[in-house]
Amino acid sequence: MQKAIRSGGLCLALLLSPTAVLSEDAPVPRPLTPIFQEEQAAESGVDTVYNGDWEFMVGGGVSTFDCDDDRFPDMLLPGGSGKSVFYHNESKKGGAIRFKAKTSGLEIDKLLGSYAIDIDGDGIKDIILLRLGENIVMRGKGKCQFERANETWNFDGGKAWSAAMAATWERGNTWPTIAIGNYIDPEADMEPWGSCTDNWLHRPETATPQRKFANPLPLTPSYCALSMLFTDWNRSGTPSLRVSNDREYYKGGREQMWHVDPGKAPVLYSEEEGWKYLRIWGMGIASYDLDFDGYPEYFLTSMADNKLQTLQTIPKDGKAPAAYKDIAFAKGVTAHRPYTGGDWHPSTAWHTDFQDVNNDGLVDLFIAKGNVAEMPDFAKLDPNNLLVQNARGNFVEMGLEAGVASMNVSRGAALVDFNLDGLVDLVVTNRWKPAQVWRNVTPDAGHFIEIGLKGDGGNRDGIGAWIEVKHDEHILRREVTIGGGHAGGSLGWHHFGVGKDTDVAFRVIWPNGEADDWQKVPANGFYWVSPKKAAAKWE
Amino acid sequence: MSVVIRRAVIGLVFACSCLLSLAAAPAQAAATPPQEVVTGWYKLILELVRHTSNYSPPVAARSFGYIGVSAYEAVASGSDNLQSLAGQLNGLKALPAREKGATYDDAVILNTVMEMSVTHFFDRTGPTGQHVMKKMAAKMDEKVSAGLTPDVIARSRDYGQKLSQAVFDWSATDGGASVENMGFPLEYKLSDKPGHWVPTSLIRQQQAPLLPDWGKVRPFAMPTGSSCRLPEPPDYSEKPESAFYKDANEVYTTVKTLTDEQRTIARFWSDDPMLSPTPPGHWINIALIVLDQEKADLPTTVDTLARLGVALSDAFIGCWDTKFVFDLIRPITYIKKVIDPKWDALLITPPFPEYPSGHSTQSGAAAATMTHIFGDKLAFDDSTHAADGIKPRHFANFRAAAEEAAISRLYGGIHFRPAIERGLTQGDCIANYVNALKTKK
Repeated sequence: MQKAIRSGGLCLALLLSPTAVLSEDAPVPRPLTPIFQEEQAAESGVDTVYNGDWEFMVGGGVSTFDCDDDRFPDMLLPGGSGKSVFYHNESKKGGAIRFKAKTSGLEIDKLLGSYAIDIDGDGIKDIILLRLGENIVMRGKGKCQFERANETWNFDGGKAWSAAMAATWERGNTWPTIAIGNYIDPEADMEPWGSCTDNWLHRPETATPQRKFANPLPLTPSYCALSMLFTDWNRSGTPSLRVSNDREYYKGGREQMWHVDPGKAPVLYSEEEGWKYLRIWGMGIASYDLDFDGYPEYFLTSMADNKLQTLQTIPKDGKAPAAYKDIAFAKGVTAHRPYTGGDWHPSTAWHTDFQDVNNDGLVDLFIAKGNVAEMPDFAKLDPNNLLVQNARGNFVEMGLEAGVASMNVSRGAALVDFNLDGLVDLVVTNRWKPAQVWRNVTPDAGHFIEIGLKGDGGNRDGIGAWIEVKHDEHILRREVTIGGGHAGGSLGWHHFGVGKDTDVAFRVIWPNGEADDWQKVPANGFYWVSPKKAAAKWE
Repeated sequence: MSVVIRRAVIGLVFACSCLLSLAAAPAQAAATPPQEVVTGWYKLILELVRHTSNYSPPVAARSFGYIGVSAYEAVASGSDNLQSLAGQLNGLKALPAREKGATYDDAVILNTVMEMSVTHFFDRTGPTGQHVMKKMAAKMDEKVSAGLTPDVIARSRDYGQKLSQAVFDWSATDGGASVENMGFPLEYKLSDKPGHWVPTSLIRQQQAPLLPDWGKVRPFAMPTGSSCRLPEPPDYSEKPESAFYKDANEVYTTVKTLTDEQRTIARFWSDDPMLSPTPPGHWINIALIVLDQEKADLPTTVDTLARLGVALSDAFIGCWDTKFVFDLIRPITYIKKVIDPKWDALLITPPFPEYPSGHSTQSGAAAATMTHIFGDKLAFDDSTHAADGIKPRHFANFRAAAEEAAISRLYGGIHFRPAIERGLTQGDCIANYVNALKTKK
């Protein structure tokens, strides 16, 4: 019998065994409250302000990556009209979160966001800088030093207003394919509406070995993208490119998804294929397989109500309509207005990510919130959300109890284990105010594992892989991606909370479709995983 | 009679990017007609309607009413031939007059009025709208001021400011000035009786209906919100032999068997808030198209925009009055419950009661108003959504456009036929009050 009927008296057990199936009538135990402690700038060393006027109303994205092989995530914060700042992570394992600003070559103005990616497969992270003006690819030289590589790698940085990026390694390629999302034409300040500039797709050169990009392809039509994600939505083995667009500025636009099949020109999904006519103020994308069916759900940030999309029909052999239904209301993640602070106006949502912040085996949802600038019909006091998932798969707002309900005008964020204690920490950027750093100090949190991938060939970080972890009666699944969020993302350890599990069975399905065998490792550890090899524990 | 002295060529740059040459033409011939000040600002207004979050159709219609009246009075105050609407519109008493014998410039007055009106009625638009408004104001001000003496500029601006302020003061008392939460009440008690409206959207904000008290807003020309109230809709019934079921079944079968043409019509008149200039903005754009097509002079331009704005605003007040008296269920709710739970409408069902159709009422009122001005034989091409990739549609006259707008709501699956047909009738009733306004002496 599948249903485990539990009474309220069994709440404690459920806290640490949250994925057990509840009957619909059973009371749902409140999830374990995560607790975050803000690290003040004087201690954390992080004080970058995302500054600027109208041109910086979007962006503010954070990228985290390890650039000196100490396995602690380092960080790049944009300064908007001011210069960006690279922060070296100087935290001790399990200790306070400490960063130190260091010169890296990444210091530049007009930066809206960035993503880390190992483009040339040398095992050293490179960085793509998304800017108002020319985008720049920075090649990692090691020891957290970077140099411009646009010319070397034939990366045309354009001169647009860019805040979105996604990357994939198309089947058979050793060099990545990178999509850049562009926003309003910055020159069209008298007629910004309808002036969306083309997004670009940078594919590798056709010659082998691939060592640079071909000239970019315009992804026409483009509708002011603010988030992009290569994702294998139907598990066909070929990721498609989701694009979330800001309806404020497009005309005739909508949410988009592109077929990006190797060797073929990109083609938009059509209504005949099930893709629906959805128009939102698309600002960020987060994905995770919330219902354990093997297919990711997608959370889309917007203004007022946000969207949580799940497939209408489960695909068979990768073939199903690309039709999604919105379950945000049912799951409690509309996050449409502030939950504290007294401002009842609709919210404005930006960066978002699914991470398990209390290690109970269920991912939770963070949303960075903040007014565009001076929109009086939207909340001025707009706290960030921390929606914690309960045992029934619904989400409970815990931002206030958790201590992350900042009222600053937030934009970008990263949920990363900065001090490698197994708990996901948080950094958030703010317009006109310094970024904030929180250390996760949740008492009685569950166990965890963190997995780092070492892929073959050029795709060293296994982008496009799926990591599967057995927990309770389910398999937790995370697609390894570069993209999504709002103008920034994290590349490094992949974190899974596993409740009370002391041993954890996991496997990796690599981007080429080959699945490793399941292997069991002790919980509360960090593991390096390479194809067909036993996991190596990192101490 | 005001004396308008233009001492130099005036060029204007408008939101439509039409740059009138300053140097190439003879001085008087190249002077910018003041009506282009009005139409230039209106093109920006249509963008602001689309991009200001609390601009639902009733709110947009209200602003079109006040802005239209402001522009009209700016011109009428200096005209021997135009009669003020003060004393004709509800609550509008005497407006400031121009100083006798003094020199004014109509373009400067109109530009001041339009700039102040846009700033006032779109004070809640976002940073991009604010950014564009400032740019537009600076460019327009430079153009209309060129060649004029400082005293004429100052006097004209001063008059425009006083006139605008008087209209703002008037507008503040109509009960529609304050719209919060995009018009959705934070608390609302739904009826639990069969056949009444229930939310049709999964959007949290739309679990209460849009602007339930809008029918109480003071109209412009119609005596009260209930002056054109419609009779009851067909009795609610779930029996297949009932009229209500038959109306619902018509929506159901129509949507299931839509032709390409019907689908195109539904999309053309969809006019979704925040994704288009809204239904009233659609009709304002039709007016701009026709004014341009007919090369309308200044009095016709401001008379048309004032009457149309008034008609649209009163149409939404009258329509909302009826909507919340009968509080009727939407087709999607009925059809899913009674006929087919898997059915879906083509268009997004608007978040408020069904009867009558707002687009039908306002299109009926707009068409009757435009016909009163231009006659019933004026054909035009409606290119309102060209920038969104939707092809223009040709109409033989205004009534044909209104009837297509009305039936589009059945094709879209969001209205029953009685709401459509009676909506047009209600629009005619409202337009009668507008057409009774006297604008020519």
